Amino acid sequence: MSTTNATTAAPEQVEAPQKGFAGQSVPRKEDKRLVQGQGVFVDDVRRHEVGYVHFVRSPYAHAAIANIDVSAALELEGVYGALIGEEVAALTDPFFQLSVPPGSEIKDYALAVGKVRHLGDPVAVVAARTRELARDAAELVEVEYEPLPVVVDPERALDEDAAVLHEDAGTNLVWSGAFDWGDFDTALAEADRVVRIERLHFDRFSSTPLETSGALVEYDRGTAQWTLHANNQFPGFAIIMMGPALRTGMDKLRFVSQDIGGAFGNKICTHPQLVALCLLARKLNRPVQWTEWRTDQHTGNSHGNERVFLDVEVPVKADGTMLGFRCKAVDDCGAYSRYEPLGCIIWAQVTPGLYRWRNVHIDFSQVCTNKSPCGPNRGYSRMQHLWFTERVIDIVAHELDLDPVEIRKLNYIKAEEMPYETPNGCVYDSGDYARCLDMALDLIGYGSIEEKRQDAQSRGKLLGVGIGSTLDSGTNNFGQSQLLNPDLQFSGNNEVASVKLDIFGEVVVTLGTTPQGQSHETVASQVVSDILGVTPDDVHVRAGHDSYWNSHAGFSGTYASQFAVTGLGAVSGATELLADQIRRLAAVILGADGPDAIVLDGGFAKLRDNPEAALPFMACGAIVNANNAGLPPELDDVTLNCRYVYKPPFQVPDKERKFGNLTLTYATQIHACVVEVDPATGVYEIVDYAAVDDCGNRIHPQIVEGQVHGAAAHGLGAAMFETFSYDEDGTLLTSNFYDYHVPHALDMPPLKTGAIESPSPFTSLGTKGMGEGGGAGIHSVCAAIQDALRPAGNAIVTDSHNPYHRVWDLLRAPEASRALVKVEQR
Amino acid sequence: MEPVTSQRIGVTVNGALHEREVEARRLLVHLIRDDLGLTGTHVGCDTGNCGACTVLLDGAAVKSCMLLAVQADGATIETVESLAQEGDLHPLQQAFSDHHALQCGYCTPGMLMSAKHLLDHNAEPTENEIRRAIQGNICRCTGYVNIVEAIAAVAKGEVSA
Amino acid sequence: MLLSEVGYARPAGVEEAVRLLAQNDGARPLAGGQTIVNVMKARAAAPDVLVDLADLDELRAIGSTADGGLSLGAMATYTQVITSAEVKAARPVLADVAAQIADVQVRNRGTVGGNVCSNDPTNHLPPVLVAAGATMTIVGLEGERTVPAEEFFLGVYMTAVGPGELLTAITLPPLGEAGDGFSAITIGADGTCIVNAAATVQGDEARVALGCVSATPALVTARAEEGAVREAVRGAGLEPPSDVHGSADYRRHLAEIVAVRAVAAAGEGG
Repeated sequence: MSTTNATTAAPEQVEAPQKGFAGQSVPRKEDKRLVQGQGVFVDDVRRHEVGYVHFVRSPYAHAAIANIDVSAALELEGVYGALIGEEVAALTDPFFQLSVPPGSEIKDYALAVGKVRHLGDPVAVVAARTRELARDAAELVEVEYEPLPVVVDPERALDEDAAVLHEDAGTNLVWSGAFDWGDFDTALAEADRVVRIERLHFDRFSSTPLETSGALVEYDRGTAQWTLHANNQFPGFAIIMMGPALRTGMDKLRFVSQDIGGAFGNKICTHPQLVALCLLARKLNRPVQWTEWRTDQHTGNSHGNERVFLDVEVPVKADGTMLGFRCKAVDDCGAYSRYEPLGCIIWAQVTPGLYRWRNVHIDFSQVCTNKSPCGPNRGYSRMQHLWFTERVIDIVAHELDLDPVEIRKLNYIKAEEMPYETPNGCVYDSGDYARCLDMALDLIGYGSIEEKRQDAQSRGKLLGVGIGSTLDSGTNNFGQSQLLNPDLQFSGNNEVASVKLDIFGEVVVTLGTTPQGQSHETVASQVVSDILGVTPDDVHVRAGHDSYWNSHAGFSGTYASQFAVTGLGAVSGATELLADQIRRLAAVILGADGPDAIVLDGGFAKLRDNPEAALPFMACGAIVNANNAGLPPELDDVTLNCRYVYKPPFQVPDKERKFGNLTLTYATQIHACVVEVDPATGVYEIVDYAAVDDCGNRIHPQIVEGQVHGAAAHGLGAAMFETFSYDEDGTLLTSNFYDYHVPHALDMPPLKTGAIESPSPFTSLGTKGMGEGGGAGIHSVCAAIQDALRPAGNAIVTDSHNPYHRVWDLLRAPEASRALVKVEQR
Repeated sequence: MEPVTSQRIGVTVNGALHEREVEARRLLVHLIRDDLGLTGTHVGCDTGNCGACTVLLDGAAVKSCMLLAVQADGATIETVESLAQEGDLHPLQQAFSDHHALQCGYCTPGMLMSAKHLLDHNAEPTENEIRRAIQGNICRCTGYVNIVEAIAAVAKGEVSA
Repeated sequence: MLLSEVGYARPAGVEEAVRLLAQNDGARPLAGGQTIVNVMKARAAAPDVLVDLADLDELRAIGSTADGGLSLGAMATYTQVITSAEVKAARPVLADVAAQIADVQVRNRGTVGGNVCSNDPTNHLPPVLVAAGATMTIVGLEGERTVPAEEFFLGVYMTAVGPGELLTAITLPPLGEAGDGFSAITIGADGTCIVNAAATVQGDEARVALGCVSATPALVTARAEEGAVREAVRGAGLEPPSDVHGSADYRRHLAEIVAVRAVAAAGEGG
């Protein structure tokens, strides 16, 4: 199905095309309201007579619900009502499950029905006149639990004696399958050395957006219409899950949002809470308002996927060329599979990482445990896999005493090999990894690193340098879901925009996206300006999302690094249609030969040969909208209101071979990190840091750089501080910002950035989606720590999360980690 | 005097006196947001760690989620809504925009008030002092890089509002 | 995040504050609120009455004592301690340590009295005051009494301040020829302490108080030299907690190190 078009020359490093506003860092439209505190976030939306809600949540990780009694809560003055799991089970159908059997048998409802499966699992929701009363009422709800044994270790979840979370499924297995490409057995036979790594663990954390989830939900009895002012970032997905559950049509669920305070994938799987709110709003005949508290987000909302890689085998040639890898992977999706098991395939967008590895075999399984359910957190599934590939190359280099820079350059896919087809048919569009690596190393002064090492040593510190390479694969082909479940009816992708000239010629843009800080209004206006010959100040982009009135398509939303491709693809498509219509109209009005005789400049449609003859946009808008008598019939379709659906060119992948292109674009980020470790305590500090990105043509370089900063900070936080840690009873030990430490201003290292642009040959603007960042911060910190520890026990870093106490363990007992790695000479 | 569970308080917010009957348990941030409708000040956590709720109370930066409204009786409070004057942005607001020191904007009001507190007390802060001044304000979008730059630019007088 | 119903009173003077505390078992003082409001938000505790000490100006005074020591009113905020000329002159370690606590907003409200009376084992001031040999002044219906810092901290969240009583002042002896030092390993910069230690070194002898390793600061004395300090810490039989930030073993290990570092810092200061 897919072809590889090998280019013979390396792609030029292109300066951002100076067509006008694209490529410039113009002032942001969003800022004026946000710096004045005039943004409208979901908790800012007010309604009279609203019922504030509080969810009653399980204190147990796993328990049967013997009884729920809300009568005491309902007696409290000011309480409007409540909803419990039994009612939900009667009024709704379980959420659609994406997996095949047995995972397909999981019954997931808006509130726990019959049993609770993680600490924080909601069992009831109460609504009251004030926030405080709702909280008081929640305390009066009496729930009798019968605790059950708990499963927290994904490697034990399929043991015979493991407690089963979902009786209908009969097992904790959500999905399993084998991925096999190339010929690993032959590669193994051809190897000069085989490096075996017993276990690598990617830890559980999340990007914890500062604004928690929330919604104000209203139900109109007359029209049976729900309106949800919610900060859900993927309404397309939410509606598809909620409609059938609520036994209602898609159009009856209107999603509205204006400003969203960060999401990072954390605000995708809130459909269970939203269904509970829909039922409650209808039951009470009043609007209900939910503000998720921080502790609720940590215990009850999405975590990032935790993943263990076992029995890793890496065949290596004498010169350091790696031939592939084989391993088992176990993914822990928490108590419910909501966006899962998509995580079981999405990593395959980057199967060989950045490397020319052709022979891959992974036995992949995903299991439920009594922990918070996972959601597609920033870097979703690719981050876990790319951390794995980076650990592999770093450990191989370490054990075979090969230079970490040279071994990467040896194995990297080269710029001149782009577009490059991976072993499973994904096509990396463009990139120059070696060049980015050189830039990153230069920024941290790699040339003088040995001097820095000596200097650190003189101060009693161990210095280490680490590289983290990563890819941001963007614009999904949802057909990859069929590789997990051939019966699923999802494939391709889309996004919508509409652009119009309003009655007096104003340019108005409507987006199908749900930005949470990615500056869509600004960037869209730049693209529109260049096509119409106006300035961004002339372009009004509607703030936020409204699924009722917006252009809205099946996959509308903001997730998975794609706006620069799908969103801007839709915007530019719609604007080109509008530009064409303006030219056709002007040609008739000005008596020109045809639309090619017209240019758009400065808000006017002008005769190319006689620019004095100019029709202002204002006149165009007025003529079509209010003064259209006598226009010739060939202009009947000129409405000056153009809607365009951008559809990336995908095919359904080959289900037998699990082969095909799964994402359209691949942005690169290469990070380099310098740490100093105190060998006495394991405490370490990042003393220098560089991040180099390549996302193709950058429409707004300052915004791109901001995304790189943020992604680096998330990565560093996950590496150094952030973990969702559970004890053996399934109690979450880091359930708020006191225990779950995120980087503050003093925690951040000096952060240097660089950029190149390898335009994507597959997108109209040469842009690529970017922003997730693929966890490069984690990869580079792990590598730096391992490098630092060489002279002090030579431990191997096998965990993505390395707080001080873990580094101390590596210093104190390096043999434990060293025992996990074996090198076989052939 | 005897303890009361609610009382009438008077709080001057952004120059205007507001009198309200409030429950003793009502947090100051909820008075500001819900009772006075000033929704610029935000809530981001429940343990007083994130600083999204930062306001100035009698000139000092405080976290309004860690104060009861009744504690603010008689006090003078400034929120983000007080920064712009008749449509003209405060230099800090302008600098934040110029330097792309905000992405989603949720931490921004608290961040601006902490920055204002800093510059009200220290006209020439070092980079370390700037970071210390916003240490109580969590941002998950920007990595703080541009925020520090923006504040430094205002301190150096590089920003025209 | 939302508190249970609570009674509130804001007395004008210490006597009235004590009366209010004494007349209700469930009454608690409200100082800066940086701990108690959080505790009440989590509903981990729900006092019946909060007695707001904000108007007790006499409890905010920082001054010198007759013998050249330092007197801190219990309501002095961390910011006041950091900017106080008297503190800088008499016991500068207090300003250094206060400057490491959390962030500006917390320091503008949080009080020294709150820090010691809440006695969260990870707090900064209890070890400093134990090492320095401070004295705590407590006022109750019966009048005023003093308790040495070493005897003030009784258990997690528990101190010698009983029901109906109020801590009013903390007094530190003059530094003289001695030196104070402090060292901590924290979760992130200026974050919660994983372990901390405060040392006051007079001549050859070090008093070292370790925090985060037991319910109350653990005091050891030793010759002010690394080996002796380590041995003293090891000999203290510490049973530190294990949690997500560190195992008991790790804390025991770190305790030795911060003790040595605190003593070294005291040596430099003295």
